[in-house]
Amino acid sequence: MTVSAPPGMSGPNGNGALDRIPGPVMMARGVHKSFGQVRALIDATFQVDEGETVAIVGDNGAGKSTLVKILTGAIQPDTGSLELDGTEVSFRTTRDSLQLGVTAVYQNLALADNMTVAENVFLGRVPTRWLRVDRRRMEKESAELLDSLAINVPDVRARTALLSGGQRQAVAIARAFRSGRRLMILDEPTAALGVQEGQKVLDIIEGLKGQRVSIIVVSHNLDHVFRVADRIVVMRGGRIVGSRRKEETTTADIVHLIVGTRE
Amino acid sequence: MVDSNQAQASEGPARVRRGLIRYRQLWALLIAVLLLWTYLSFASPYFMTVQNLTNIALQSSVVGIMAVGFTILLIGGEIDLAIGSTQALAGTMAALLIIQRELPIWAGVLIVLGMGLIVGNVNGYFSLFTKVPSFIVTLAMLGVLQGLAFVMTSGQTIGGFPEAFKVLGHGKVGVIPLPVIIFFSVTVVVQLVLSHTRYGVELYATGGNREAAELVGISVRRVLMLAFIASSMLCTLAGLVLSARLNAGHGSFGSESLLDAVAAVIIGGTSLNGGAGNTFGTLLGIILISTIKNGLILLGVDPFWQQVAVGALILAAVLVDKTIKGELAPGDLLPRLVRR
Repeated sequence: MTVSAPPGMSGPNGNGALDRIPGPVMMARGVHKSFGQVRALIDATFQVDEGETVAIVGDNGAGKSTLVKILTGAIQPDTGSLELDGTEVSFRTTRDSLQLGVTAVYQNLALADNMTVAENVFLGRVPTRWLRVDRRRMEKESAELLDSLAINVPDVRARTALLSGGQRQAVAIARAFRSGRRLMILDEPTAALGVQEGQKVLDIIEGLKGQRVSIIVVSHNLDHVFRVADRIVVMRGGRIVGSRRKEETTTADIVHLIVGTRE
Repeated sequence: MVDSNQAQASEGPARVRRGLIRYRQLWALLIAVLLLWTYLSFASPYFMTVQNLTNIALQSSVVGIMAVGFTILLIGGEIDLAIGSTQALAGTMAALLIIQRELPIWAGVLIVLGMGLIVGNVNGYFSLFTKVPSFIVTLAMLGVLQGLAFVMTSGQTIGGFPEAFKVLGHGKVGVIPLPVIIFFSVTVVVQLVLSHTRYGVELYATGGNREAAELVGISVRRVLMLAFIASSMLCTLAGLVLSARLNAGHGSFGSESLLDAVAAVIIGGTSLNGGAGNTFGTLLGIILISTIKNGLILLGVDPFWQQVAVGALILAAVLVDKTIKGELAPGDLLPRLVRR
């Protein structure tokens, strides 16, 4: 489970679709969710394949967040089912999904600022030795992990509060990567960042793809989506209205799907 | 082998520097205490006597034990205003059970500790499962527990513990009183748990960013429930020690300790927003407070000024803390009109 060497280097870089094992990692079937009168999610059927990066796009209120929260167990669907690696699962809390290797990086609320980078990377799974927190191991392994993801952080013993927005996002992604080897969900990973920092985070996501992780990216930024995604899923009014492979679509096509001028 | 040694050697100074910066509040507090001691030893011939210093240590101990519990909770971002009442109820119950009902000491102590466990669970349950802020829950419990302590004894003082029980308050190991040893042990053990166990890391994380803690799979409720229980249990322990020291139990014993305990924790650098703090700061905080109170007496100041001093100290400590963190510019303290 350690990350001593970057395994992605030996695998196919770039467009390695042929090399992937087919079959969905995560599958949501016929999921409905209402909040009072509001139907947030209507008959959503959605899948992510092994090693695939899927972007979910759509306007505000299209149901992206609801779908993502259901996939992590943060909220529960009214009807419908979830399958992870072909077996049906039901997540009562985010802890349940975490245990099965599904993690999410949410906007803004990912890190505990009062803790060090290393502590944040290991938060929730702090290693111990004879009941004692093994800080040395935590610091060593998080430095290695950050290195392997090409993330630059001055010192893993620095408080997270001292980091820039991009560095914080990177640390959050590193943590998710550590614990979410099956599926990583990134909710607006670049929204709060400047141009350069956003590019850096995209680089990290591309690095993750080299490590054969399945990824869901929720984003408003179509440039970013086209850069990292293999497939783009469009939502509107609580429904999934389209799914396109990146090679077979254009920005214009996706925009039309988002605003509903073409189905 | 050689490599790692070299790495450690070159890391030494950096580590020391980090320690100095990270614990600057502790150092500042230690210096403040030493300055105050120096001043008082010149101002009063009675200050630097074994008798007087023992007194300060004894006075610090009972409140200090409670303050350590308060530190745990505040690091987690919660608060327990019922600490004084919990302590009073514990002392009263001990007196009632051991003196009036003539229960064996072990049985009485066990029942009182059980009471602490229940109180902690009640505080925790209502604060964590009903979404009523712990500030309100424990304010209510302050009334409930103190009231119960008076009801049980009809407001009477029950005195005359067996010798074996009084050891808890009067015993000595060498020259050091047992309560001081208990307080110091509690301080050290709790800080070891906070710094070096998974529970400690999870508590700091919970206090720092509860949502993030929850999202990475920390059971925030379990972590905080344990903190509430620890706080109540430590108050119970403090109540037992105090009743042994005073050789009596009464509902009003310890009613002032809330103020002192809160002051010690805040002066000791525990963040009011949670996520930061340590028990050694609290230890120094309570020593500072006890010294000030003691000094005021030695200097012949009306004892009623003590509360004023402690209250003012809380306010000052919070303002200094906020200024250090950059949340408050000293100029902001002046009203707008005066500033112009």
